[in-house]
Amino acid sequence: MIKINNLDFAYKNTQVFRRISLEFEKGNIYGLLGENGVGKTTLLKLICGLQKPQHGEVSVDGLTPSKRQPQFLQSVYFLPEEVITEDTTPMRFVQKTGAFYPRYDFELFNTLMKELEVDLSKKFNELSHGQKKKALLACALSLRTDYLFLDEPTNGLDIPSKALFRKVIAQYCNDETTVIISTHQVKDVENLIDPIVILDHDDVLLNAGFSKITERIFFEYGPERLENAFYTEMLPGGYINVMRNVNNEESNINIEALFNAVMKNKEQIKNLMQ
Amino acid sequence: MNNTLNINRLGKVIKRDGAGFAQNLGIALIILWAIPVIIWLFGNMTPFNGKMDPFSRLGIIGTLRNILIIIAPARLYKYCNNSRQGMGYAMMPASSLEKFISMVFYCIIVAPIVYIVGALAVDSVLALIGGSYEGFAVPAYFDKYAQLKHALDNKMFLSEEDYSLVSDSISLSFFITLKIASVIMLSSIFMFGNMVFKKHKTGKMIGILILLSIIYMIAFINYVSNHETIFQLMDEDNAADVIKRMLYIITRAAIVISAIISVVMLWGTYHKIKTQKY
Repeated sequence: MIKINNLDFAYKNTQVFRRISLEFEKGNIYGLLGENGVGKTTLLKLICGLQKPQHGEVSVDGLTPSKRQPQFLQSVYFLPEEVITEDTTPMRFVQKTGAFYPRYDFELFNTLMKELEVDLSKKFNELSHGQKKKALLACALSLRTDYLFLDEPTNGLDIPSKALFRKVIAQYCNDETTVIISTHQVKDVENLIDPIVILDHDDVLLNAGFSKITERIFFEYGPERLENAFYTEMLPGGYINVMRNVNNEESNINIEALFNAVMKNKEQIKNLMQ
Repeated sequence: MNNTLNINRLGKVIKRDGAGFAQNLGIALIILWAIPVIIWLFGNMTPFNGKMDPFSRLGIIGTLRNILIIIAPARLYKYCNNSRQGMGYAMMPASSLEKFISMVFYCIIVAPIVYIVGALAVDSVLALIGGSYEGFAVPAYFDKYAQLKHALDNKMFLSEEDYSLVSDSISLSFFITLKIASVIMLSSIFMFGNMVFKKHKTGKMIGILILLSIIYMIAFINYVSNHETIFQLMDEDNAADVIKRMLYIITRAAIVISAIISVVMLWGTYHKIKTQKY
């Protein structure tokens, strides 16, 4: 379990987080959403121990990430947004990296590379950007760490690759694996993530699973714009209205509409979800 | 789990770092091995037929080894403090101590030894061919006493009387210790520079060393010109004793200062590995 308690963090004069508290429970695929620059990547770096909080605590299964102890490091893997590769083949890279991870599975790597349609014989610098990303994703999953942090994993992937991405994440992440996917492209991770965390400058606006969200928020698809909705968006053939679930009705979440509704009604929705 | 030092994990770190050794340092090694060949060729082409003795060649090899020591950290661990490319290094599941030991192993031990072995092999081949190289450098390399004598005879231009003063103060074991200490100090300074600076790592560290040398020289000259120095206290009767004592102090101080600088630089390197933010 990841616990963040009263976290303060700033880059020189830019305050990123002010006294935020947050928990990530084991076995879920979290969607970490937020506008550009709110600190999604920074939060992942703090959880990985690549940055140190100025105040407050971050702990992963009781360990302090910023100490970068081997016991902690072998339980996490961070795949950054920017593809950084070595002058080698993905196979050599994963063999070199995997040696440090106790549950690393080379067979799984081969299976994933086939499923993701990446050429095993080519070096990283001979692969396209999307192919590199998929090779690194195969590597990350084959390490079978308890925690997997993916920063904008679908950036640069073509449409079939995005579908493959969703497939392998859903297929190979079990109840013991916690995945946090940071993204601003919510459509790419729809039907994959649950719960959702929405970050804002200095604040966590939402941290809830789908059941809790639909219990309190109703997504109404209809022909007209409703006055009492938090947020309304025009869709082909009508409108989607995001509103308080007063009649305890069931509905399907539209993550993009939810995100926009939260951003436009920060305090109201934050209070509603508490 | 031992989170500080595990031999098995250290072995993995050394293996991982070693995988990039030839790739990152190979070209530099080849260039530095080639320089004695160029000198040999140049010696053969000039009309003077001058012969170069093994000790002079060892001097050149030593200088080139120092160049390798200076560039090795930035070549082998260029990205370890880079905010983007260094994340993989920081996230490698090994302790900071294990990463540090591996870095020390490659920068202070492996790189100089690989260079020296290669350079002596090249020298042996050239000596076999003949030409401007006279005799083999390999026996001279292992004969530290002959090296010391050569250093004192040829480099310090001493008279017989002064030579006995110097050789009394600089024993063979001290000479070897000083050589090892200077290699460790040079390497540790540039290892630290590699962790502190993100760009132009070697150049910036050389610049700082030049700046510090200038400041030291100015301070030293200023001190000597304003204070009564040991030279002014000397007279004909006690000159030999004073010089002997002074040499003894200066040479021992050199070892102590080298050790202090090395420890500070190595501790700084370890601290940076441990606390570097990305």
